[in-house]
Amino acid sequence: MVTASISLRDVGRTFGATRALAGVDLDLKPGVTGLLGPNGAGKTTLLRLLATALPPSQGQVRVLGLDPEVPAERTGIRRQLGYQPQEVGFPRGFTAFAFVDYIALLKEWSQPAARHAEVRRVLDLVGLSDLGSKRIRAMSGGQRRRVSLAQALLGSPPVLILDEPTTGVDPEQRVTLRTVLAELARTSIVVLSTHQTEDVAALCERVIVLDRGRVRYDGPVTDLTGQAAGRVWLADEPDPAAKVSWRTGTGRYRNIGTRVRDDVEHAEPSLEDAYLLLGGGSPEPETAEEVAS
Amino acid sequence: MDSRPGDEMLLLAVAERDMGAFRTLYERHAGWLAIRLARRCNDRDLVADAIQDTFVAVWQKPRGFRGDGDIAAWLWGIAIRRLVSRIRTRSSVAAVFEHAGVAPAAEDQVLLSVEYGDVGQALARLSPEMRAVIQAVVLDGLSAKEAAHLLHVPVSSVKTRLYRAKAHLRAALAEGPS
Amino acid sequence: MTAWHLDDDALRRYVERTDSLAEGASAEQHLLSCEPCRARVTAAASVIERSVIDFAAVWDRTRDAVEVPRPSVFERLLRGAGLPAPEARLVAVASAFRSVWLVGVAAVLTFAALAAALGHARGVWLFLAVAPVVPCLVVASSYDPWMDPALEPELVTPYPALRLILLRTIAVLALALPAVLLFGLVVPGETAFAWLLPAVGFVAVVLAASTWISPLRAAIAVSTVWLAAVWLLAARSGSPESVLQARVQAGFLALAAASFSIFLIRRRQLRQLRPWR
Repeated sequence: MVTASISLRDVGRTFGATRALAGVDLDLKPGVTGLLGPNGAGKTTLLRLLATALPPSQGQVRVLGLDPEVPAERTGIRRQLGYQPQEVGFPRGFTAFAFVDYIALLKEWSQPAARHAEVRRVLDLVGLSDLGSKRIRAMSGGQRRRVSLAQALLGSPPVLILDEPTTGVDPEQRVTLRTVLAELARTSIVVLSTHQTEDVAALCERVIVLDRGRVRYDGPVTDLTGQAAGRVWLADEPDPAAKVSWRTGTGRYRNIGTRVRDDVEHAEPSLEDAYLLLGGGSPEPETAEEVAS
Repeated sequence: MDSRPGDEMLLLAVAERDMGAFRTLYERHAGWLAIRLARRCNDRDLVADAIQDTFVAVWQKPRGFRGDGDIAAWLWGIAIRRLVSRIRTRSSVAAVFEHAGVAPAAEDQVLLSVEYGDVGQALARLSPEMRAVIQAVVLDGLSAKEAAHLLHVPVSSVKTRLYRAKAHLRAALAEGPS
Repeated sequence: MTAWHLDDDALRRYVERTDSLAEGASAEQHLLSCEPCRARVTAAASVIERSVIDFAAVWDRTRDAVEVPRPSVFERLLRGAGLPAPEARLVAVASAFRSVWLVGVAAVLTFAALAAALGHARGVWLFLAVAPVVPCLVVASSYDPWMDPALEPELVTPYPALRLILLRTIAVLALALPAVLLFGLVVPGETAFAWLLPAVGFVAVVLAASTWISPLRAAIAVSTVWLAAVWLLAARSGSPESVLQARVQAGFLALAAASFSIFLIRRRQLRQLRPWR
């Protein structure tokens, strides 16, 4: 059996004068891959490209061995693809069930009994089985995100592209989401983008860091975290020698720097530390973890 | 303190389109409603359809319950009328007042008079047709027209039997215990 | 009242229907206000041999009745016309079939028809200006991203875009054309039908243009150009009959054929996000 795979070779995408992506080379296999990067880094553009919603301006894309530039093959990809966009507007008057049912129709589930059973299955996966008949416009933001996730999960697709699936979703639901994705990732290629490093740390085996349209890092999460080993320390004051430092919940300061130091109180490095070291974004005060040493 | 949600809470949740609450309501009430309906109609399919119609009606208008009286009484009112509707649309049906023909045995007669006194005895002495009408109109609260549909008799028969039944009862009660 | 409950014997007789009318009536009155006894009756219902009804099956049917979306009138019409159920649903979901839209279209047409019936040449010009652009505006709205909030997930499904757009176009025309025809009958003279070929032409232009730009923008552009043209023509010649000339009508037919061909050739562009989004 051929393993599912996605490959990108020297892929670029421009919008008028803006270059959203450049020189992207990737090989994706079954498992969960996280896409990290600040706003404007090109995450959504890359995801749209993978989801065949956008063609590349240059380079070559192959999803499951098929070329999205060829219409017949593009349809073939779409038959095996689930995509959760960053924002979905929902038609007025639609209930969660009706909307997912509608997308299921577009995904060629023509038999009503099988289709309804599948709609219920995915609504159940995202924890909305009791709210299928609620109007989407009457739902909270997190519930709407879950509806848009549910339609992506239809058919347990071999390729699942999720743009910020955890945004606005409460912690309980995030745990369920992690379980669902982990299960699917045994045989499917799952790519998700997020701002939260802890989601990547908890869910992804692999991480791709994007910055201004280019890949800054592509590899196992543990390796990236390892890059910060010995480079994270705690102090009572922000250390001027540090690259980044911030105040943690206990009042002490967490510092990260490019050089390994011996004379400091080291802390266990987290993925966020490594990410910041790489130059990505700035620490979120409320997510800063205090590691007791 | 009962930790299970009360029926009124469930209805509020159903108004918010909560399928779980709706299911709980079904599990709580479909059983006794079906049994009570089956005592008026021996066609199981009709009873099943009536139960379905009842709960669909509850879903569509959960705020129809005004909080006056028991929810159970409100549900029964919906259920019996749905049964009548279903019976009307099935012309070839033999919907029967199940135990109209059961006349109590001698021992039970004694039991009746002990437990239910004069009224119970008087009721027992009525003909099955008259008992059926009393149950439909007096106990179930149906109109003469609805009772006519339920029992498959003309409205005039319903009114006549009701009149006679009441006359019998009055006479029997006036007589006193035998 | 709460102190007295149905004993097991009475309960059994009630459930098995071997009790008398008086007993039953008494039990039923009690059950209406006693939750624990109702629960006991329900429990008994699942135990007795010939079960009253299949409660699980009835629940499934009930849940389907409230949860599964019911087809709208328009959807049922399409099904009746021979379209398979899934297709009918896909077509009916489009925005153009929302009642608000249809009411707006009807209002515009009524106004135009009234103007035509009341005035004379002026009124006819007004009708000629409005009637041909109504179909293309309605077609455009049936698949325009601005009107269609769920575009992105729809975009990447395998359903053929061309088929969907054509189905919606035909369905919308089937709705809009008879309405406009009806209003056209109010208009005096043969010009009542002079708008048909232009209307078809504009629909085809919008379809073709939608492979480059947003359908609604295309429709608005076409409408503006047509209105300007009509205004100029009316100011110059004064007689609506000029539109009826064979040359003009043939011109619109050619426009329709050419546009539709372009649309078919460029159809693969229909299913990708464009920069204007």
